Amino acid sequence: MNRAGRRVPLWVRGVVPLAAIAVLVAGWAAVVAVFGIPSYVLPSPAETVAAITADWPELSRGALATTQVFVAGFLAGTAGGFLVAVVMAQVDWVRRALYPILIASQAVPIIAIGAALVIWLGFGLAPKLVIVALIVFFPVVVNVLDGLAAVDEDMVDLARAMGASRRKIFVTVRLPATYTPLFSALKMTATFSVTGAVLGEQAASSSGGLGTYLAEQQSRLNAPAVFGDIVLLAVIGIVAFALIAGLEWLATPWRRGSLAPKRRRYRPAADPAQALDVVRAG
Amino acid sequence: MTATRSVKLEIRAVGQRFERTQALSPTSLSVAEGEFVSIIGPSGCGKSTLFNIVSGIREPAEGQVLLDGADVTGTPGKVGYLLQKDLLLPWQTALENIVLGAKLTGRVSRDDRDRAAALAARHGLGDFLDVFPHALSGGMRQRVAVLRTLMLAKDVLLLDEPFGALDSLTRMEMQRWLLEVWAEYGSTILFVTHDVDEALFLADRVVVMSPRPGRVEHVLDVALPRPRDLGTFTEPAFVALKQELLGNVYGGPAAEPLPAGPWRGRS
Repeated sequence: MNRAGRRVPLWVRGVVPLAAIAVLVAGWAAVVAVFGIPSYVLPSPAETVAAITADWPELSRGALATTQVFVAGFLAGTAGGFLVAVVMAQVDWVRRALYPILIASQAVPIIAIGAALVIWLGFGLAPKLVIVALIVFFPVVVNVLDGLAAVDEDMVDLARAMGASRRKIFVTVRLPATYTPLFSALKMTATFSVTGAVLGEQAASSSGGLGTYLAEQQSRLNAPAVFGDIVLLAVIGIVAFALIAGLEWLATPWRRGSLAPKRRRYRPAADPAQALDVVRAG
Repeated sequence: MTATRSVKLEIRAVGQRFERTQALSPTSLSVAEGEFVSIIGPSGCGKSTLFNIVSGIREPAEGQVLLDGADVTGTPGKVGYLLQKDLLLPWQTALENIVLGAKLTGRVSRDDRDRAAALAARHGLGDFLDVFPHALSGGMRQRVAVLRTLMLAKDVLLLDEPFGALDSLTRMEMQRWLLEVWAEYGSTILFVTHDVDEALFLADRVVVMSPRPGRVEHVLDVALPRPRDLGTFTEPAFVALKQELLGNVYGGPAAEPLPAGPWRGRS
């Protein structure tokens, strides 16, 4: 919806971002053509596409490998961060103990951690996965903690007065309060963690992902291939972001409208008169 | 009210201390079945402390709470509780908020939802079952909260300033609605308010509390005929009771003229 509260038609919502990308690409092509920039400095969009198609077998394998690292690390980091946040919110001394360590850990460059991880975990999937997970972990912990802290304690008291157990209160009252901040963290880290996957591959380069390919082509000064690699990385980031935004859209219907989606609506009893009898009897 | 009605809720010398301060002096109050008792007093008079104890979510430092003669001290889930904040879950529809009690203590059955829907329909929320709370007005939200409390089917309701955040027109409408609901269900109600008019309009008895430490200062019988409506506010008996209550609440004869201030005598 726009500021006037009117619903913007779907095609406008789809067309505007696509047109913006088209303008960007056209501008890129124009700059290369007008200033006669050589392709080893800045390849044109056409040359970039040509580089991608020429090296497609290797690039597609690389994209797949990087996506695997990215998805596995992302899921591990999200799950780990969520669990740690829940424990920190429930157990006071754990929160006090872990918070400063978590903050300090963010000050350490991820590249430095990568070097250490390679020493400990070797050159397989493990160190790359851990690097991506570490990038996702901190924002998830902080945001989920915020969500849990924002729960109105009066609401918790009310639930207790209704005779609810601690577990029920957690599931019904506390957990859904984390959805919105959790998705904020995930949308933010969806793009960062692609960078994390590239850094991980460059620190522990054995199997050929897009990060390894990028380093190889860079050393050969193969600009079109470097740009092709970058385009694929950008695509992975955009797809990841879109998937998470879509998941958020499904998971938080109360944030996008006043009426519940169909599957969550009440379906009346077959005979309304009977329902009224139930009220009178109850 | 008549003397023959049995005692529903008995608060027996209940007191509370936080650290070294006495939040609530030992307080006793006996409420008859189906009685409507308003509790009025300034902030810090221990009303909320008392409610937290009666609802069972806090243990008192001393004393007991008896429900139908049985000791329920420190046992939650025995009475309905409603606060000034409607405390609706923003991610649940109006209907799902109404059946929250069932959800929190077990599973919500088909039957629970049908009952809640019929209840909501009868109380003007029939078109809003599938609406999320953010799209409801303040009065409607509080109505959902009241229905959520009614769905628990508890005989005793504790209402802690439930209409305190509403504008005065909505509030008056809600007061009349509450009296209808009360007449229909025959609940026993304890109602905390800051508003002298509200306390008198609703209650059979008004309990005046005072702070530091919280204690019961006066108890006033409100022998106004029922059903009550807008005309009640201007009846001589109501005005006389209001005068007496104002005197009790503010600790002096209310008939005494206001002290002359700089705004006097200018007109």
